[in-house]
Amino acid sequence: MIFIAMRYLLERKRQTLLTLLGVFFGTVAYVAVSGFFVGLQGFMVQQLVNNAAEVHIEARKDYLTEHVLDVPFFGEKFLHTFWSAPPAGVEGFQEVQSPAKWYKRLNADPRVAAFVPQLTAPALFVLGINSVGTTITGCDARKQVKVTTIADYMIDGKFTDIAVGGNRIVLGDELMKRLGAAMNQNVMASIGVNPTPSSFKVIGRYYTGNRGMDLQAYAAIDDIQRTNLTPNQVNEIGVRLKDYKDSDAMARTWAMSSPERVESWGDQNANILSIFAIQDALRFSMIMTVLIVAGFGIYNILNMTVSQKRQDIAILRALGYDAFDVIMLFFSQGLTVGIVGGILGLICGSILCRYLQSIPFMVATPANPQGHLHISLSASILFQAAFMSLFAASIASILPARAASKLTPIEIIRLGG
Amino acid sequence: MGIVAEHLGIAFGSPPTRVLTDINLSIADGEFVSLTGRSGAGKSTLMYILSSLDDPTEGKVSIDGKDIAKMTSKELHWFRNTKLGFVFQFHYLIAELTVIENVLVPTFKLHQQKGKRARAEDLLVKFGLTEKTHRFPRQLSGGEMQRVALARALIMQPQYLFADEPTGALDTTNGQTVMNILTDCNVNEKTTVLIVTHDPDFAKMTKRRIVMADGRLVEDVFN
Repeated sequence: MIFIAMRYLLERKRQTLLTLLGVFFGTVAYVAVSGFFVGLQGFMVQQLVNNAAEVHIEARKDYLTEHVLDVPFFGEKFLHTFWSAPPAGVEGFQEVQSPAKWYKRLNADPRVAAFVPQLTAPALFVLGINSVGTTITGCDARKQVKVTTIADYMIDGKFTDIAVGGNRIVLGDELMKRLGAAMNQNVMASIGVNPTPSSFKVIGRYYTGNRGMDLQAYAAIDDIQRTNLTPNQVNEIGVRLKDYKDSDAMARTWAMSSPERVESWGDQNANILSIFAIQDALRFSMIMTVLIVAGFGIYNILNMTVSQKRQDIAILRALGYDAFDVIMLFFSQGLTVGIVGGILGLICGSILCRYLQSIPFMVATPANPQGHLHISLSASILFQAAFMSLFAASIASILPARAASKLTPIEIIRLGG
Repeated sequence: MGIVAEHLGIAFGSPPTRVLTDINLSIADGEFVSLTGRSGAGKSTLMYILSSLDDPTEGKVSIDGKDIAKMTSKELHWFRNTKLGFVFQFHYLIAELTVIENVLVPTFKLHQQKGKRARAEDLLVKFGLTEKTHRFPRQLSGGEMQRVALARALIMQPQYLFADEPTGALDTTNGQTVMNILTDCNVNEKTTVLIVTHDPDFAKMTKRRIVMADGRLVEDVFN
């Protein structure tokens, strides 16, 4: 049967080519569109995950509710208290309450790859007549580079040099530009509540391409604790996990057993993740449409073939071929078109993705110096594309094939073929 | 054991139109039988029932002592493939296959194409089609196509050959050639042959002539 099916395909070249092109373009579209979207999402997730900690343990912040101050103000005297202007806002804590307990816990957890205690404070930088208000993060530089990819974005100096202490500082490129500062120059900074400015020496510069991030500064945690007049204080612990996918579950577990606010990178970027979900839905709808059109191509052509080949079906049935053989005669044609079109589509889709990867399209950063598009060519996309083309071809061919198998030789012969 | 039909009847449509009525017939192995009669007499319908292509509404058909209606689907298809050969008024060749491939079509079912290749070539030589072996049906004349269809029907060395007006679409010369092949097949290969024909001259070439009218057997004579 396969032999006859292949001869049908080879002898009807134009029809075969048209059907093949449908599957081919469907598969190319799947690989290229999925590669583009998944690559973009991967890049953005990578930026979100790698540029920041996967789990943030921050000083607790509670929202004030209407009756939260009833007892502190009036004791148990009144059953009900009515406020003309009820308490509102956030009751913020300045620091992580018991960082030592957290360090012990994080050190003992095998899922934790690294963590870094930080003290982030508002800062006002001044250089000459230029002043810029921003935040500065005090950290252990050697731990910071294990938790985030900040070191990859250094364009001047070495990030870990701030670990030496002595008020050394690394500035973002945007902050450097606004201050008009240069490497090895001293800038003045007022940190937190300390009104007395301190001098910091610029020993490094980073550039991520994200203006908000590039407006920040990093220094050793001891220097920030000292200049902020809050010795030993930590207001955030950044945690990197061995598998970032564990972050949601771990953040939830830790949040339940501690007074601190614990958030995963997913919690902090929920809006972006919901955009990804919409992108995925759009991508699948678009690709499904293309594959349905390709499937209809196969269906129409096989349907036409079945009606043109009624005499062949009659003689084959008379010669002892059963319904299954007839199904295989037509199904194998659709499947062959699906396999060949799918394989060609995978090859050309991969080549197209490689080409798209070479186009400079995005802002160049030290981590992506050419600013190339991020196109994913993961095995899962290729597998999905192969599966979808085979699935579309199978569904589109089984229907005409089943219809053909139901024809009996006598019906066809009586009706004159 | 041959072919035995008992009280065969068939009616089509609604309200039912009776096409065959109480047919009792026995065809012994090795016979060469023609079924003749006017158009609408029920010749082709009887042949299709006797050859398992159609089911009667009454009665039963046995071939080689086996009731066709009681065969499983698998048995019936194997039986058709190995024991029965068919030729129709129209050749029903597969346009995408060459002459030799068309002849070998029945052998694909049981993957016997290699073993039967020599017989296919012999048949083509015998039927004067050697030079057409690798041609496609569209490159053949009507007579040549019918001879290819005959070769296809004989490739599995069937015990029974059913031919429904095999000369109907051919001129006298080609019709004569086809009848000679059928006779040769009956004589030399001991194949039981049943043909449906309108042509009295061709009917006279068979050993036994059965005449039908209005769905009944009206004459059964040995030539």
